[in-house]
Amino acid sequence: MRTTGLSLVLFFVSTVYSNAQLERKLENTNQPVDLIFHAPRHINLLTVEPLEKKTMHFAIMHTFGTLDGGIETLYGLDNGANIQFSFEFGLGDKLSLGASRSSRDKFYNVYGRYHLLEQTQNGKMPISVSMAGGAGVITNPYSFLPEAERPEFADRLAYSAQLMLARKFSNKISLQVSPMMAYFSNPLPVYLIEGTQQFYLALGFSGKIKVTERSSLTLQWIPNLNSDLRNNVGIGWDVEAGGHVFQMYFVTSQALNEQYLLAGGNGVPGEEFRLGFNVNRIFALGQNKR
Amino acid sequence: MKGVGFILALFLSFSALGQEFLTKNGEVVFLSEAPLNEFEGKSSFLNGLINLDKNLLDFFIDLNTLKTGISLRDSHMRENYFETDQYPFAEFTGKIAQAPKLVVGERTSVKALGAFKMHGVERQIEVTGFLTKLQNGKIELSADFTIKLSDYKISIPSLIFYELAEEQKVTIKATLTEKK
Repeated sequence: MRTTGLSLVLFFVSTVYSNAQLERKLENTNQPVDLIFHAPRHINLLTVEPLEKKTMHFAIMHTFGTLDGGIETLYGLDNGANIQFSFEFGLGDKLSLGASRSSRDKFYNVYGRYHLLEQTQNGKMPISVSMAGGAGVITNPYSFLPEAERPEFADRLAYSAQLMLARKFSNKISLQVSPMMAYFSNPLPVYLIEGTQQFYLALGFSGKIKVTERSSLTLQWIPNLNSDLRNNVGIGWDVEAGGHVFQMYFVTSQALNEQYLLAGGNGVPGEEFRLGFNVNRIFALGQNKR
Repeated sequence: MKGVGFILALFLSFSALGQEFLTKNGEVVFLSEAPLNEFEGKSSFLNGLINLDKNLLDFFIDLNTLKTGISLRDSHMRENYFETDQYPFAEFTGKIAQAPKLVVGERTSVKALGAFKMHGVERQIEVTGFLTKLQNGKIELSADFTIKLSDYKISIPSLIFYELAEEQKVTIKATLTEKK
């Protein structure tokens, strides 16, 4: 009797088992969170958003004159834009290298980002941590200066380094804190920077508040830690459109790279805001595209 | 007598177990053909079960494994369309309309009926596919069908309309191995 009972149990167990569906299992239980920010740029600062291997991020960024010119200058749009193009290549899933050129002082910059940690959906890793560094050269010929007064190559170099700590707190809110530094080999008055010191320390804060499925309110604040320069403030709007991310913003500085953001100086938030506009696009390289 | 009962039950239970065929690495490809942009997403992590005796089909895929070749697009796909943090799987559970007799080496057309679930929406669908029993005892499966995103409450904003197609062509291909 006992064996019959046992066999019955066995029978039912196996029947039930064979009717059972497959267990739904994630392939990667440590799936990283998606899109802490919309793009590798956020207003003017770099973010922890990684580039996949063999993809390229292209960004074109503009900032215009101050709003206080009023309608006569179409709120600053007439007054010389600073334009920066940048290309950044994903060499691996963690490392990317890029180059940019901004029209202000004809500044060429090479930079890299390395992603140390990625926040995961299961919360095991609560934050993403990346670092970035850049080295640039001012190539404006300053031909209006007498030849003897033109800066030497060694006077034209500027470097930057930063650590980026970011967390997506919810689907709506993300925040990044970036301790940053910049170093100018010789901060000459002829350069379009207000700072006169060589070394600058600051904290970059980037905030994102998602408003609709595909757009967010964006915030930027960069308090200086060792200079008397005014702090950078920015407020904007990010829109995802297909493969593009459009970023529109008001910001207190025309600077578009880290060195100039820290040394460049800032206008008074409000009437000295400048309109800014970025277009981000990611391309896949060397892959079969239909 | 008891012994016979036991063996009988054991035998029954094994036959009830049926011929179960499984895969963990089937391929899924979706093709989006919009006026301005055409792209494919791929995954080779289709999990599937076919039990011919019980007439049971069960498939699922972790949508996080779909790759379109552009990481930003993948992120947008996961976050804004599939919402994988809430709905990580696309799944199908159903049966074959007329259980076929498979002959080795012969490609047999079958019609599958069942529930397809994605983005928190479950719908009854009908898929025509092919099953082939291979020399080595494995079963090869291929099928294609179309998914309308709006059926699964995935909306395409008008700004993106030209880049993402409302109808996605899905192709699946898998070789299922008999469970021993």
